[in-house]
Amino acid sequence: MIYLDCAATSLQKPASVRYAVSDAMRTMSSPGRGGYESAMAAAGMVLDCRTALADMFCVSAPERVIFTSSATHGLNIAINSLVKPGDRVVISGYEHNAVWRPLYGRGADIRVAASQLFRPEAAMDAFRRLLPGANAAICCQVSNVFGYILPLEEIAALCRRAGVPLIVDAAQAAGSVGLDFDGLGCAFAAMPGHKGLLGPQGTGVLLCREEQPRPLLYGGTGSVSESVEMPDFLPDRLEPGTHNVPGIAGLLAGLEWLGRRTPAAVLAHERELAAAFCDILSGSDKIRLFRAADPSCQAGVVSLQIKGVDCEEAAERLAARGIAVRAGLHCAPLAHQTAGTLRAGTVRFSFSPFNTFSEVRYAAEQVLSLGV
Amino acid sequence: MHYLLTFRSLTYAQRAARVLERAGVTGTVSRLPKSVSTRGCAYCVIVSARNRERAVNILTSAGLAPERVIARDTNGVLEVGE
Repeated sequence: MIYLDCAATSLQKPASVRYAVSDAMRTMSSPGRGGYESAMAAAGMVLDCRTALADMFCVSAPERVIFTSSATHGLNIAINSLVKPGDRVVISGYEHNAVWRPLYGRGADIRVAASQLFRPEAAMDAFRRLLPGANAAICCQVSNVFGYILPLEEIAALCRRAGVPLIVDAAQAAGSVGLDFDGLGCAFAAMPGHKGLLGPQGTGVLLCREEQPRPLLYGGTGSVSESVEMPDFLPDRLEPGTHNVPGIAGLLAGLEWLGRRTPAAVLAHERELAAAFCDILSGSDKIRLFRAADPSCQAGVVSLQIKGVDCEEAAERLAARGIAVRAGLHCAPLAHQTAGTLRAGTVRFSFSPFNTFSEVRYAAEQVLSLGV
Repeated sequence: MHYLLTFRSLTYAQRAARVLERAGVTGTVSRLPKSVSTRGCAYCVIVSARNRERAVNILTSAGLAPERVIARDTNGVLEVGE
């Protein structure tokens, strides 16, 4: 199978990730629950992973790196902490349901800073217009549908100037597009561990700026046990219950692999794959490609439509030929509404450090044959 | 005689032990004895009497000052400072 659905999860991981998960299951128990060898081994590994993430995303203290079960979990913590019912929240036009639904559920007054695809200036203008009077802002770093890299640095600067706390959804960026969390002055940034960071499913990360965010879950932390209240310090305040130790061990192995390869090299490889894929398809009048004129605006994710072929049918026919892609709305109807693709959806091809040019060429040729 | 340097969480105790290790001071992360724990489960870093002052100075400089410093001898536990 040629796996081109890395925007959903990175199926192909370094072998070291599998070994780390297996080793943790054999040798590590629960951190913070005992002083014996297996508990302390788990605690040491968890701190190693926290520290590696703090280094990668420029967070000054590792305790401000919180382990979650997914980016969605982290976004829910961030939104629950920052947004009160009725608060005005400005979001980009490319947000995922992991942002839209929690905001709706919280009763927020959602204002969409809609802007044309691959037009960073327009995105900045839209935020600039809506930020005055807002209580919070949320922006994805990379659109999960189109690979569009939003102008996060500029949007973060606008938020700082307006005094509006910013939550970053780094789900599609982490592991390839860099994030200077402290430098941008974000309130929170959420990301999955299982996509670009190459960890196992069930892992996620939330970076926190403030000391005492509002917990989403309450329970035992192995600290301050005599108090009925959650600890007033991180990471314990946001990490009740037993940690996903095998998952975090796998995530650490993924981070170590990435550290050797470097996220910048991964992004360059994925962009080259995307460019090769688009070059083959760009001559066809049957294919509508969503490709940025300026390559620096797009990561290794490409959406397309095939004239006369339903996107779900196209994905099904590609699957029958051994190519795994995702079709439909990609849990991001807002992004499709903004780009004008809500009714038809798109077929999404997302590349990973493990994909090759021959795989990409084959996939492109198969897409061409569907449009005949 | 050993000294227990107490911290508000396991993460802080671990970070403290790593800072000490990098400075050439041996410190072992351990559960804090229940008899001296004021808020329930907690962790500490154990250092030798010889390294006590240096360890506290290093940690304070690193922004990881211990909450309390507790002396422990073979006869039990004796708190010696805040």
